[in-house]
Amino acid sequence: MVSFIARRLIVSVLLLLGAAFIMYQLTALSGDPLEEYYQSRLPNREQLMADRIERLQLNVPAPLRFFLWLGGAAKCLIPFANACDLGLTAQGQPVILLLPQAMTATLQLVTASTVLAIIVGLVVGIVSALRQYTTFDFVMTFISFLLFSLPSFWVGILLKEFIAIGFNDFLSDPVVTPIWIVVLAIVSGLIWLGLIGGDLRRRLTVFAVSGVATAAVLTYFSLSNWFTHPNIGPVFFPIMAAGIGFVISLLIAGIHNKRALLTAGIQAAIAYVCYFALQGLLNISSIYTLMILGLITIAVAWVSGYLVGGPDRGVNIRVGIFTSLLCAGLILIDRLMQAWPTYSNMSAINGRPIATVGSQTPGLGGDIWIQGVDTFTHLLLPTLTLMLISFAGLTRYARAGMLDVLSQDYIRTARAKGMPERVVIVRHAFRNSLIPIATIVASDFGALLGGAIITEQVFAFSGMGAMFQRGLTLPDPNPVMGYFVVIAISAIVFNFIADMTYSALDPRVRVRA
Amino acid sequence: MKFQRIVAPVSVAAVAAMLITGCTTTGGGTAAPTGGTVTVAEVNEVTAFTSSTPTANLDMNAKLLGYTRSSFFYLDNKLNIIPDKSFGTVEKTSDDPLTVKYTLAKTATWSDGTPITADDLLLAWAAFSGYFNDASYDADGNVTGGTQYFNYAGDTSGLGLADKPVVGDDNMSITLTYSQPYADWALINPIDAPIHVVADHAGVSQKDLVNAIMTLPRGDAASPAPVNDVLKKAADFWNTGFDATSLPTDKSLYLSSAAFVLDAWVPKESITLVRNKNYKGSLVPKIDKIVVRFIGDAQAQVTALKNGEVDVINPQASADTIKSLQAIKGVTTLTGDQFSYDHLDLTFNTGVFKDAPDLREAFLKTIPRQQILDAIVTPMNPNAKVYDSELFFPGTDGYTETTKVNGASAFDKVDIDGAMALLNGRTPEVRILYNTKNPNRVAAFQAIQASAEQAGFKIIDAGAENWGSLLGSGTYDATIFGWISSGVGVAGVPQIFSTTGGGNYNGYSNAEVDQLATQLQTTLDKKAQDDIQVKIDTQLFKDFYGVPLFVAPGVMANSNSVTGVVYYPGQAGVGWNYWEWAKK
Repeated sequence: MVSFIARRLIVSVLLLLGAAFIMYQLTALSGDPLEEYYQSRLPNREQLMADRIERLQLNVPAPLRFFLWLGGAAKCLIPFANACDLGLTAQGQPVILLLPQAMTATLQLVTASTVLAIIVGLVVGIVSALRQYTTFDFVMTFISFLLFSLPSFWVGILLKEFIAIGFNDFLSDPVVTPIWIVVLAIVSGLIWLGLIGGDLRRRLTVFAVSGVATAAVLTYFSLSNWFTHPNIGPVFFPIMAAGIGFVISLLIAGIHNKRALLTAGIQAAIAYVCYFALQGLLNISSIYTLMILGLITIAVAWVSGYLVGGPDRGVNIRVGIFTSLLCAGLILIDRLMQAWPTYSNMSAINGRPIATVGSQTPGLGGDIWIQGVDTFTHLLLPTLTLMLISFAGLTRYARAGMLDVLSQDYIRTARAKGMPERVVIVRHAFRNSLIPIATIVASDFGALLGGAIITEQVFAFSGMGAMFQRGLTLPDPNPVMGYFVVIAISAIVFNFIADMTYSALDPRVRVRA
Repeated sequence: MKFQRIVAPVSVAAVAAMLITGCTTTGGGTAAPTGGTVTVAEVNEVTAFTSSTPTANLDMNAKLLGYTRSSFFYLDNKLNIIPDKSFGTVEKTSDDPLTVKYTLAKTATWSDGTPITADDLLLAWAAFSGYFNDASYDADGNVTGGTQYFNYAGDTSGLGLADKPVVGDDNMSITLTYSQPYADWALINPIDAPIHVVADHAGVSQKDLVNAIMTLPRGDAASPAPVNDVLKKAADFWNTGFDATSLPTDKSLYLSSAAFVLDAWVPKESITLVRNKNYKGSLVPKIDKIVVRFIGDAQAQVTALKNGEVDVINPQASADTIKSLQAIKGVTTLTGDQFSYDHLDLTFNTGVFKDAPDLREAFLKTIPRQQILDAIVTPMNPNAKVYDSELFFPGTDGYTETTKVNGASAFDKVDIDGAMALLNGRTPEVRILYNTKNPNRVAAFQAIQASAEQAGFKIIDAGAENWGSLLGSGTYDATIFGWISSGVGVAGVPQIFSTTGGGNYNGYSNAEVDQLATQLQTTLDKKAQDDIQVKIDTQLFKDFYGVPLFVAPGVMANSNSVTGVVYYPGQAGVGWNYWEWAKK
């Protein structure tokens, strides 16, 4: 194992060096950094050219200049010396200071979308596999291929036009007209009909029920000004909390495990009490308060799961923790919703909450809830854009992986033994279908830092992609190399992790030492 | 029993929770709403609190200084010099020798409360004049001897003509005496970084620094003097000390002398400017706050304007941008010219056009200037006209005058018959160099190719991506590219059109133009300068130097909730008259 890791590391370093050299040459040769001065009518253009040549060391041939850069970059390997030198940009800014800023912007932009795309992608993919060749499966296949082929700049612009500008316009007079209620009710009816399936009668019932429910909710929202004053409220909160508890215990423990159900019920009840009791504390909370509350939530769930007892306390505890965390999330969402009207009426927002550029409203101020809503309104569109596109691929992989596993002999054996279908799916099939997906997810995370050049541009996030692009336009190799170092290292590290995970997850794969 | 077992730990946990969380809470309440904020979108981010060094000489840095620094004058949208008497006065006290006196007003103050004095002017003079530099360079631009003190991005040759300033009026004025007349004297604005900040950070005393500036002799590259330690330290700080990637904790690095002062900088996102409490001048704004957001993509700027996130935008112009702007309700779109123009030049010292005025004339007659304008500029600026001068920008007084006499109008329309008559059956080959990465240049080339071939020219596509380094190489007979200028001053003229000018890629040489260009540099009167430039312009067209094609269009737009936004063609950008902005 050790020798495997060592070999991998050595190969990685050589790869990194080779790729860095090629990258540097390609960038340096991609244009002329003096171009702007050729067109200049300034009386001192010659002096400015000389200055840039001197500063960017343009009189050193690019292959040799690479080694000058490498000499500075190599200092990063000296531990604790803080001698890292990735060079200066053409504007005289140290790349090493720009990288963290660019990385922060990029991580803000892509983290949520990657995580969401993985969760939604896996869920949809697995459900499609379980409902293979049903309407749902076909519709999802169609949608995922459609999304996969959409260019991101176009999706971004469409979302801005309809969700940001359109929705903001709607908020100035938030009344859903009867025509829209009917249209949306029919659409929602069709979606549920496809999701649940069954014979004609059942389909019709599903269609009618979901359509009417949607219409009722929309009418309620419209009449109660819900869009400008959103809330979950003391009526819907317990219903949703109970629903969460039920689904979690269904998935993790099975519906027959009464003790798990009890734990989930206790969590939902505690959450309902907290919903009222904590409002005062939440009003004055900082982010650290919330972290501590989160830890306490887990502790309380663990303790109550343990105390409920029974033959398998572990299951209770897991059910309890998941239920309580999700319910806590519900409380937070409700609190954020309470901040919405205040946020929306702030002078900097001016009643148009959904933003199209950047990650925050400059100089907004306000408490963490206002800040939280501000982050949400800014990240909503870029996250959706990236998620819609990357979700497609994951769905396909998850579906294929699940189908593959479901056709294995051990699944048939498990069913033949009389195991409940839930156990077969969740424990035997689901876990094994995750093995190949681990590789894809790992490389997805590796690509996180690479940013999304086009999406960054559309939503004015000046992250890694923008740094790369700006460096390339001049061309100015130093920022490009800064970008390269980060993504190359993360790609190598995550691929390495993927290999290791693979051998850990699948006992059949052995790393030859 | 069981109930108690559960209750006990839960209640302990609850009490602990209250205790722990209590320590991390913040006060409630929200920020008071502010009135009168204008949000501006800009393409690039700030990189320094100066724009005087080559690395910091970027448009956004200059724009930040526009909001935060007062000057002896500013340029209005017609490029007139408008003095700001609340900062100081400029007075030409003598024509021969040219003597200019700069007197600071009592109201001139830095935002930390320090009054602005002649010491600050001396520092700016030391940097802008290159007076002390005695460095010599080898062919690669490496210093081989002597010292380069201040690394100034501008031209030092003009101010360098002046002798050491004379300080007067209780340390509130300096007087510069030039050894020979300097045409662009009125554009000298001797104020830069605060000297007390530079001295502090360089670790020298302000007194020693002023003393060094006042006593050191003029630098001479032929016999370099030993390095002056005080001046060197100050210059080293001045050269790089104001560069930044985020808001420094040291507030003195971004002092203001104008109505706004930098308050916050979220890297990669925005800067916030608030009112400077120590500003006593007369350019008092009506708004409280300016937020500048960095949005590179033109379309993203337009959508942000439409969504009300920004009030004023300043994107790169394109037909799409302008079309989508005009479709938005409640938004005013301002279009106009920028100080850059595309042009076609002919090579005089080699190739087919050498000593062949008839071929040059024939070729210029075939250039479809109106067609190129219609294809590239008209969609953005419907009022654009064919550009008829090599020296004046449309909208200036000189432009109207020169177009009457310079003879450019002879090439306004394509004259294939005239060209064929001049060619008289010859079919010369013309190699045209242009930037193949720039779609506008490619379009211009294709139009010229199609038109010139009708007259019998054989056009050879010599376009290249590395066109810049090929300029002046003699590998082409004609070239299409753009000139970017500051729009003001005449110091750039000999650079392009005189025989030895560094930007004269065409080998153009005309003794009369050389003489006029030299005379221009020592002419002080604006009217007389214009007259000389008209003569040069006329001579250029007489020699069939080439033809200007079009002036690049620019666009700005503002939400109708902001009034007072006026299009500006120069580097100061949309914020040039921020004190006239008002928010409804």
